[in-house]
Amino acid sequence: MSDVGQPVIQVNDLHHVYLRGTPLEVKALNGVTLEVRPGEAVGIIGRSGAGKSTLVQHFNGLIRCRERGRVIVTGHDMADPSVNVRLIRQRVGLVFQHPEQQLFERLVGDDIAFGPKKLGLPPAERRERVRWAMEMVGLDFERFKDRFTFSLSGGERRKVAIAGVLALQPQVLVMDEATTGIDPSGRKEILDRIVGLRKAYGVTLVIVSSNMEEVASLVDRLYVLEDGRTVLSGTPREVFAHPDRLMGYGLGVPAVSAVANDLLKHGVPIPRTPLTVTEAVEDLWRILSSSGT
Amino acid sequence: MADPIIRMSDVYFTYTPQAEPPVYALEGINLEVHAGEYLVIVGHNGSGKSTLAKLVNALLRPSRGDVVVKGMNTRQAENVLPIRATVGMVFQNPDNQIVATIVEEDVAFGPANLGVPEADLRARVDWALEAVGMGAYRKRAPHLLSAGQKQRVAIAGAMALQPSVLILDESTAMLDPAGREDVLAAVRALHSQGVTIITITHFMHEAVEGDRMIVMEAGRIVMEGTPRSVFAQVETLRALRLDVPQVTELSYELHRRDATFPANLLTVGEVTQAIQCRLSGGGGVQ
Repeated sequence: MSDVGQPVIQVNDLHHVYLRGTPLEVKALNGVTLEVRPGEAVGIIGRSGAGKSTLVQHFNGLIRCRERGRVIVTGHDMADPSVNVRLIRQRVGLVFQHPEQQLFERLVGDDIAFGPKKLGLPPAERRERVRWAMEMVGLDFERFKDRFTFSLSGGERRKVAIAGVLALQPQVLVMDEATTGIDPSGRKEILDRIVGLRKAYGVTLVIVSSNMEEVASLVDRLYVLEDGRTVLSGTPREVFAHPDRLMGYGLGVPAVSAVANDLLKHGVPIPRTPLTVTEAVEDLWRILSSSGT
Repeated sequence: MADPIIRMSDVYFTYTPQAEPPVYALEGINLEVHAGEYLVIVGHNGSGKSTLAKLVNALLRPSRGDVVVKGMNTRQAENVLPIRATVGMVFQNPDNQIVATIVEEDVAFGPANLGVPEADLRARVDWALEAVGMGAYRKRAPHLLSAGQKQRVAIAGAMALQPSVLILDESTAMLDPAGREDVLAAVRALHSQGVTIITITHFMHEAVEGDRMIVMEAGRIVMEGTPRSVFAQVETLRALRLDVPQVTELSYELHRRDATFPANLLTVGEVTQAIQCRLSGGGGVQ
């Protein structure tokens, strides 16, 4: 367990180069600095190619830092060759883009049990972990545990993949565009469950997304990556108050924030940058109705 | 009116013809798409959108009914290749669509296999890469590009075949906002050159781009019309558990509080303007 208050993930001036010394050399990270504190929900946004996926792979040692910079995860310096990577991967669970492609077992239950089995947990405890993880993502244990993974729908397979990561009971759950490509109601269901997990167990969340409206309503703090650097950070309200800078980074703001920012530019006294439709309706209705009387 | 470029008449499709009773992915689809149209298809995962798209370029054949593309029925084997030359398709995951190890070779793969001469090939590849904003990456290795960049390469690959119809099956799902905007701009440019566009998307604000949209649910077309007329039916869309664009929801909610506020605004600009109108000239809420 990490000390209370101590960041669970601390990244300092991190650099990463792919294929160094070859004609295909690509500088993916050029000085990222960020921290994730226990129990927080942190969003990472940035245009494609900004380095988001490279960055989060440092969080559980899938990529180790050989270039400049430091990554400290639950108090362990990831550059230290003696670091127990298995322990780190148990603490930091990573769900990738298209997580349904992570499945490899024939049966749903076996796939989710793979992680706990590798941890050396006894069968009874494994079973409990699987049952719990399935419940967390909204898959009925009895109904789904013996189903063939390939017979499931895309959305169900995604849930199985997420359950497989949750079965390790990570302290930190990293979702790298994990809801991309599912329909709005499916996305909302998965995100609601992740938020529920955070409320019930204090799981720390790191959400990588290119859906501004999604992160706006979901996270406590946001980091913006551009060319492998952290260029902007703050609460969603602070970050989305800079539409011009975000546009320059190939991003945008939620449509309701854009409406408010536009009105503000035209001298309409908008009290805050709204992040959701509800907030925008509240603010705009107040302005419209008071101007009428 | 001229003959439609695509006509689907009473189309049924099942993936499990042996099952009793068969489960239909599409049930009684009647749809005409005219040359030069920009059609948007929305609906849940599993509502039949992708099946419909695959029927149009003869990747699948209907269990019942007919799909006719430029007068060619997809049931006839000799029509399959000409249909695929007519209807280009871009899928959600570019990794399934990229074949070469250098970006420009990947884009050239389709036309080169059709025997397009060297000089023309060069021009097509350059045009297609520029159209998706990937010109600067022509010599890069696709597997080292980010997901969004790869998708733009895949779209360029389909565009290099110069199809009369381009189907984009959730092709912007993996892109960042600027990447999405680049792709939408490229699609708009193609559309203005007369290419027929069929887009399948979960992003409701992208649906606003189309001339016409259809909403699918459980294998049927349940709503059809201009984006403005469809999005005006906020409650029906909610009952189908579909989103409406944030701005439309905002204008609808303001309309519920004041019936004189327009209910079906589609863009940020429209909402901003409507509100400014109220505050200045209109003397606020009447």
